[in-house]
Amino acid sequence: MITINIEKFMILPVRLFIIAGLQVLLTAVITYFFVSNEYRDLSQQSLETLENFLIEQKKQEIKNYTSLAVSAVEHIYLPSTPDNHVAKALVTNVLDNMLYNGDDGYFFIYDNKGNSIAHPKEPFRIGENWWNLEDEKGNKIIQILISNAQKGGDYFRYPWSRPSNKQQSEKMGYSMYLKEWDWMIGTGVYLDDVNLQLSKLQFEIDEHINKTKKIILAIALSSIFIIFTFGLVVNLRQKKQTDEKISELGQKIVNVQDEENRLIARDLHDGIIQILVSIKYSLEATSMFLSKSKQDKPEPLNHAETNLTIAIQEIRRISHHMHPQILDELGLSAAIDALSSDFFKRTGIIIHFEKPSVRKLLPDFINTTLYRIVQESLINTEKHAKAENVYIKLKFDRRWLILTIADDGKGFDIESKVEVSDGGIGLRNLAERVEYHLGEFSIKSSDKGTIISAKIPKSSFVNYFNKKTIEDNHESIK
Amino acid sequence: MNQLSNTTTSLLLVDDHPMVQGGLSACLSFYEDIDIVGFATDGQDALDKALTLKPDVILMDISMPNINGIDATEIIIEQVENTKILIFSMHNNPEFVKSAIQAGASGYILKDTTSEEVYYAIKAIASGKTHFSSSIAKVLIENPNVARDSEKLTTREQVILSYIAQGNSSKEVAKILNISYRTVEAHRRNMKTKLDIHTLAELIHYAVNHGMVEK
Repeated sequence: MITINIEKFMILPVRLFIIAGLQVLLTAVITYFFVSNEYRDLSQQSLETLENFLIEQKKQEIKNYTSLAVSAVEHIYLPSTPDNHVAKALVTNVLDNMLYNGDDGYFFIYDNKGNSIAHPKEPFRIGENWWNLEDEKGNKIIQILISNAQKGGDYFRYPWSRPSNKQQSEKMGYSMYLKEWDWMIGTGVYLDDVNLQLSKLQFEIDEHINKTKKIILAIALSSIFIIFTFGLVVNLRQKKQTDEKISELGQKIVNVQDEENRLIARDLHDGIIQILVSIKYSLEATSMFLSKSKQDKPEPLNHAETNLTIAIQEIRRISHHMHPQILDELGLSAAIDALSSDFFKRTGIIIHFEKPSVRKLLPDFINTTLYRIVQESLINTEKHAKAENVYIKLKFDRRWLILTIADDGKGFDIESKVEVSDGGIGLRNLAERVEYHLGEFSIKSSDKGTIISAKIPKSSFVNYFNKKTIEDNHESIK
Repeated sequence: MNQLSNTTTSLLLVDDHPMVQGGLSACLSFYEDIDIVGFATDGQDALDKALTLKPDVILMDISMPNINGIDATEIIIEQVENTKILIFSMHNNPEFVKSAIQAGASGYILKDTTSEEVYYAIKAIASGKTHFSSSIAKVLIENPNVARDSEKLTTREQVILSYIAQGNSSKEVAKILNISYRTVEAHRRNMKTKLDIHTLAELIHYAVNHGMVEK
């Protein structure tokens, strides 16, 4: 139950931060699409406006140029009749030389039949008839230009070869009409300049959009990163706290279990066994009574006595296994001595135990912890070390009570053995218990042997013997 | 009937369990040369009764509330002359036997023995001999270092050391523990020998160093 609750408690922040991260990501994606769409629309609009403006400007420009050209030749044209060839040659000559915009701005003249009269950049056209000249859409270019001119002047877009680079490009033409001579005078501008300008602008806008996109992405990603880092830190800290709580809880459980074992062992030993012993003596008294009155001892009485002895031994074994009472009665050194001789009898491994000359200095919980460490270390030595000697030392220095258990075996893989040894409580658990008592725990293992050491600060038990002595003394005074 | 002691032996039974007392006294009542003069249920009770009844032999359990049987043995030996103590316990561990001998017990028998052995042990001890259950004797033989452990302080010695380390003089300690000045002095001498210590300062330092008292 407890474990499950703790797990839920630990998972919650992770979930929270994933949701927060997703939200930021979603917002970023939506903003990203929204902003880039908006930008595209806006750029489309402004590009169209700009195009219209530029075209309008060009239109104005060529209309003005054409009017200018017509004005420039009016002094020749107006007084001259259509058959005045000299005047016509003069006008042609003037317009031939009227150039602008480098190579691309020039004037052309056709008569109303489509015969080319002047064309400074394409002289091969002069004298030929171009009435039926078509673009790829089937528009009769010259016919339209003439008809526009006859209507008083208008614009027309058609493909034409651009003189400066000899490339076919879109040209916007404007034409006016010299009515007396039936001449059409026109000029035009090439629109690929406009297109170039527009695409340059488009490119700049696209660049800008990309830059904005990158900024949005960067902000979103760094936000997510910050959230996750923050989440991770919070989570780790929380996990550490939870771990500490679990460890503390575990120690409390272990302490409660120890205490319970101690009480049950004591109850068995000082309660049940004593009752059985009293029954045993009652049975003996019965048989003595029978023998005194010269009666035979019945067989079932013998059985009862034998079985009772077995029961007593069995309960004593269980009680000792749960909690060695020697710890409470004689203290840690004596308990380790007892453990050592049992161990030697069972394994043949010799234990050398160096102990202080004093006893009963430690409170029950420290006694039990250190006793369990010796027990667990010996289990490890027996199972894994192939040792011949074990050296146990219990000594004091200025600040600590130090317990070391060293063997001369072949060592063992600490990582795999610190958890729970078969049937034991595990060295890791014991390490936690030592730390719970503000002590220090260490294991060193190599092919030359294993050293396990536990240090308990003297402050954890200082004055315990003295206090207990006084308490006992008070008891006795009562 | 027996060659150990023909006179009646006065006996104090110390066990915190009345049923054991009952069962055992039922058995021992069959022997006419044993006179159960009293019962006690813990170490302190045993000391009080021993001081007033002055029995020949005390049959002493170990695991008891307040003062346990071994510590009580030490105090009784210290304070009551001519009383012999026979430990009567469920514990068959050599460490218990060791401590009991160190405390001054004359014998050690296990509770799951026969009443006959209990009787013989009481009589043996009353006549100034020692007696150990056969299983205990076996334990002693298997653990030859039992006798060698005498360098360890006894609980009583530690109590006195603790009082001395708190700044009490031998006279004051004698008064607190209600024992003679000479007894305290004897304990001090014994401790110095055991710990190989020669001065009072060293003795106090030893007590502090082992966390028996605060600095």
